[in-house]
Amino acid sequence: MKIMHRPKLNWLTFLRMYLRSFLLQSSWNFEKLQNLGFYFMILPGLRDIYGEEVPEDVRERHMDYFNTHPYFATLVAGTTLRLEAGSRIGEEPSVDAETYKSMVMAPFAAMGDALFWGGVRPLAALIGLLIASQGSLWAPIVFLLIFNLPHLFFRGSGLMLGYLQELHAIETVQKCRLPDLAIRLKESTTILVGVLCAYLSFKGCEHQELPAVWGFVILPIVLLFAWLAHKGVSSLFLVLLTTSSLLLLALLF
Amino acid sequence: MVAVDYLLAGMISVLTGLDRVALVQIMISRPLVAGPLTGWALGNPLVGLEIGMLLELLWLGRLPVGAAIPPDDTQVAVGATVLAAGTGHFVGLDGMPLVLLSVLIAIPLGKFGQVFDKLARHVNDRLAISGYNALMSGNTAKMERCHLLGLVSFGLASLATALVIVLVGTFILFSFAPVLIGAIQEAGLSLQYSLILVGAAVLLGTTNVNRGISLFCTAFIGTLLVLWLR
Repeated sequence: MKIMHRPKLNWLTFLRMYLRSFLLQSSWNFEKLQNLGFYFMILPGLRDIYGEEVPEDVRERHMDYFNTHPYFATLVAGTTLRLEAGSRIGEEPSVDAETYKSMVMAPFAAMGDALFWGGVRPLAALIGLLIASQGSLWAPIVFLLIFNLPHLFFRGSGLMLGYLQELHAIETVQKCRLPDLAIRLKESTTILVGVLCAYLSFKGCEHQELPAVWGFVILPIVLLFAWLAHKGVSSLFLVLLTTSSLLLLALLF
Repeated sequence: MVAVDYLLAGMISVLTGLDRVALVQIMISRPLVAGPLTGWALGNPLVGLEIGMLLELLWLGRLPVGAAIPPDDTQVAVGATVLAAGTGHFVGLDGMPLVLLSVLIAIPLGKFGQVFDKLARHVNDRLAISGYNALMSGNTAKMERCHLLGLVSFGLASLATALVIVLVGTFILFSFAPVLIGAIQEAGLSLQYSLILVGAAVLLGTTNVNRGISLFCTAFIGTLLVLWLR
């Protein structure tokens, strides 16, 4: 049944959806991945649009296969609800909610993986590790702050952006050039890996009472291990190889 | 360690385990956080921090993408911290050798985490079907319950992984500590630094960046020169 005015979502609904987004993957499953979680997240919004009884066709279309990066899901949810609100008053947008979801979930997943898992997280971890190498218990706190400030902001702003800008939210995201940002973050991480390795090599030489120039020996070894990891050799194997070599050396000399 | 400490460690295991996928994902599941948190609960956060440092980079490059399940470094950190802060002194060990031994024992046992995690996701397959059927029959509350029940399967998987690491790890610690400890004490700091360097190398190898090797080498050489010449 169509209505005359576009139903509005109040701030409490947005807050509920924001909090529910933290439970998006609670029932992650191999069959339809985040489908149940996505419906759970947008349910307060659907209730504002359709009332307590959400129509069967709406329930059906939002229980389909869904998988995106968890931090980008709020952005998808915001736009989806705006499209649902539009369809409630008979609007016919260029794409419907179901098509929109299936269209954006994979690109947003790739973007989120590169930005958060491949960019922000390693950078925050490296900064945390450099602090931890001084024996400071601030390391985990700094790590959590660096990671979560963009994370929590992104979840909240994504929801609002998606709802307010509808399909134009995609253009806004494109303008942010997030893949470029991810590359810059990865480059920064690579530099910090170099700093950390040099620092540990220097400390190792100090401990063994060797001149610091011996620290350069570590460089080709790290590069060799990096190449092996790149070729798919597992971390576990590399740990076992290193440990057994060092223990053997310790026993022999 | 008293029963309350083990209970607290168990709660941290579940909480940090849920953070990996199922709940919030604010990264308290990273070894750099999970280690000190468990250590703090057991009265020795610095041991947890040392363990977190050793483990943080090892699987950081393994992305939790789609159906891929990376090794459970969270429970490795929690389990190794329990071994180091709680069980180790029974075999007459302490300090860095105990930390290293605990980490080396816990790392391979982390493979169990992948098995339990996979099991939890299969349980969720059934929950998803029940949730779908409930929603289609108009029972939204049941659908929500099914969704939230997924937390139980993920939580139990985390707890089971931590238990395997602590129980099997304790057995290995008691059996092999006397044999290995001499060599580990000898290798000491070199082994500690080497494990972090292996993690750094793995991260470097799994991060796809153009000019990555040049950036890494420049940063390495520059930093070492500054430290050497200052």
